[in-house]
Amino acid sequence: MTGYSNDHIASLVRPDQVHRDVYEDPDLFDLEMERIFGRSWVYVGHESQVPEPGDFFCTRVGLQPVVMSRHSDGTVYVVYNRCAHRGVKVVNEECGNAGRFMCMYHGWTYDTNGDLDFVTQSEGYPDFEFDKVEHGMGRVARWESHHGFVFANLSPDGPGLRDWLGENSDFLDDVAVSAPDGEVEVTGGVHRYLYHGNWKMQVENLIDMYHPAYSHESSSAKGGQQFSRREGDKGGIQFFEKRGKVKSMDGLGTHALPNGHTWQGGLPPVENMSEDHRAYVALLEEKHGPNRTREILIKKRHNVIFYPNMAMQELNPHIRVIRPLAVDRTEIFIYPVKLKGAPEKMFRDQLINLNRTHSPTSLVQTDDVEAFARAQEGMMTSGNEWVLLARTGPQESLESGRIRTTGTSEEGMRNHYRAWLKYMCADRPE
Amino acid sequence: MTKNNRSGDNQSALGELLFVREVEQFLFHEVSLLDDRRFEDWTDLFTEDGYYWAPAEINQPDPASGVSLFFDDVPMMRIRFARLRHPRVHSQIPPSRTSHSISNVTAKRSGTGDRVEVEARFQMLDYRPGHDQRAFGGKYQYVLSRSDAGCFRIASKKAVIINCDDVHLPVAVPF
Repeated sequence: MTGYSNDHIASLVRPDQVHRDVYEDPDLFDLEMERIFGRSWVYVGHESQVPEPGDFFCTRVGLQPVVMSRHSDGTVYVVYNRCAHRGVKVVNEECGNAGRFMCMYHGWTYDTNGDLDFVTQSEGYPDFEFDKVEHGMGRVARWESHHGFVFANLSPDGPGLRDWLGENSDFLDDVAVSAPDGEVEVTGGVHRYLYHGNWKMQVENLIDMYHPAYSHESSSAKGGQQFSRREGDKGGIQFFEKRGKVKSMDGLGTHALPNGHTWQGGLPPVENMSEDHRAYVALLEEKHGPNRTREILIKKRHNVIFYPNMAMQELNPHIRVIRPLAVDRTEIFIYPVKLKGAPEKMFRDQLINLNRTHSPTSLVQTDDVEAFARAQEGMMTSGNEWVLLARTGPQESLESGRIRTTGTSEEGMRNHYRAWLKYMCADRPE
Repeated sequence: MTKNNRSGDNQSALGELLFVREVEQFLFHEVSLLDDRRFEDWTDLFTEDGYYWAPAEINQPDPASGVSLFFDDVPMMRIRFARLRHPRVHSQIPPSRTSHSISNVTAKRSGTGDRVEVEARFQMLDYRPGHDQRAFGGKYQYVLSRSDAGCFRIASKKAVIINCDDVHLPVAVPF
């Protein structure tokens, strides 16, 4: 345990600034793993990654290795990836199928729901009572799913998943309904990239519509390299008007929800006349009728953040998982989301577009990663210990608890820090 | 008769040797264009419908089965490299330097002989000032075709790095 009092932690967050320690201090990072990743719902994976009994998928909650598996009864479980005996990580492949999980060290086996199955040479424990759950790999306190998106919570306390999701659960509904079969699957591989910066920089970047014209000038400005990111786009997103004046992204809007969740308004629609798109629209119309289909096709949100570790985009639908490694090292995993029942060609185009925007070799994400690493380095200076999150725009509070404001407002990031404080100081007397 | 046969054998063995040597020389030239940052010239080596593919999974069957580290057709290569020439391509200031080496080259003609299938092993060192030097390596698979002028063109180049499923810092220059 570190010696940080809640008062000290609270002093690091001002209404419009945060102290650089929140990005640079390894002790605070340890506390975040315990108090944010240990108290919040954290995205684990999608049920379609473990379709058959015995299928497993290994990931982490914070720094803790977990296994999401489909048990022989068809139910999905999330258990710690740890042998009850001597603490050895049991499952060592990222994904696969197993009848049982066997620990390499002394051969103990576990059922696909993590329960203890068999202790080798058990006559050596004459006085020890084994309980298959207590001496299993250990179930995490809670896990729940919505449209197959599985979230885990290491703490038994706090709201259930749907309450925690709030209006973000509507977004998952919208994603599911945009698939002709009414459901999505995660079967298109994964882009994995690393940056030398704090995990929160990626979270903040996702709600930052102020940076693209500058960070991504080489792939967005006139004279920069235009490329289409979706069918129907003519040459890509323009952030500049005539004479190099930056076009404001304020019109898109920023939405700040309880629990740190945030989203941006959707990009302006484009006319997509491709054969596949028409076939896709026809499939939706067959199921929902033309009016509802028109609604479904309007993308109301761009980046949607499920604070702290996941974000989704409906543009080339994909899940982004933020995986902290250390105070200054973060992994990002990008999973394409397949709209089941849609024409195959749509998914192939989606994969190609994601290669361009989200691969480690991409034309876009690489510049963000550069900004994160330079921020991590720049903040080490002692000249100014505060990071400015003071940008505002006209804003209104809605009944749902959501705040709606302009696209380049930094309200989204201030919203993250309100949640950050709530988790970090949860045991602080009111 | 025997003598003539042997001479014929030698002739064809020599022809094979010269052929593989010619392919090797082409590959050496090809990767040197990357190391010399002559990206536009590198792009021009590809046929009009040619492509460059670096899978993201070690046994990825094809670029349509999942995302890839690189999967560029010629128009995409032109966009990629024009971006690298942009004065504010922040993630490449300063730019990466690379050194490609190729070995274990095998080449076989297929079809009417205008098509050549090539396999090779490669290593690419990658250094961007201020960052640790990285070593990438793995297998190349090419399909080459001979142009009317007799030169090789690349119909496809596949580069499988052995750590393709690792978590990578940005990569700017093709393997």
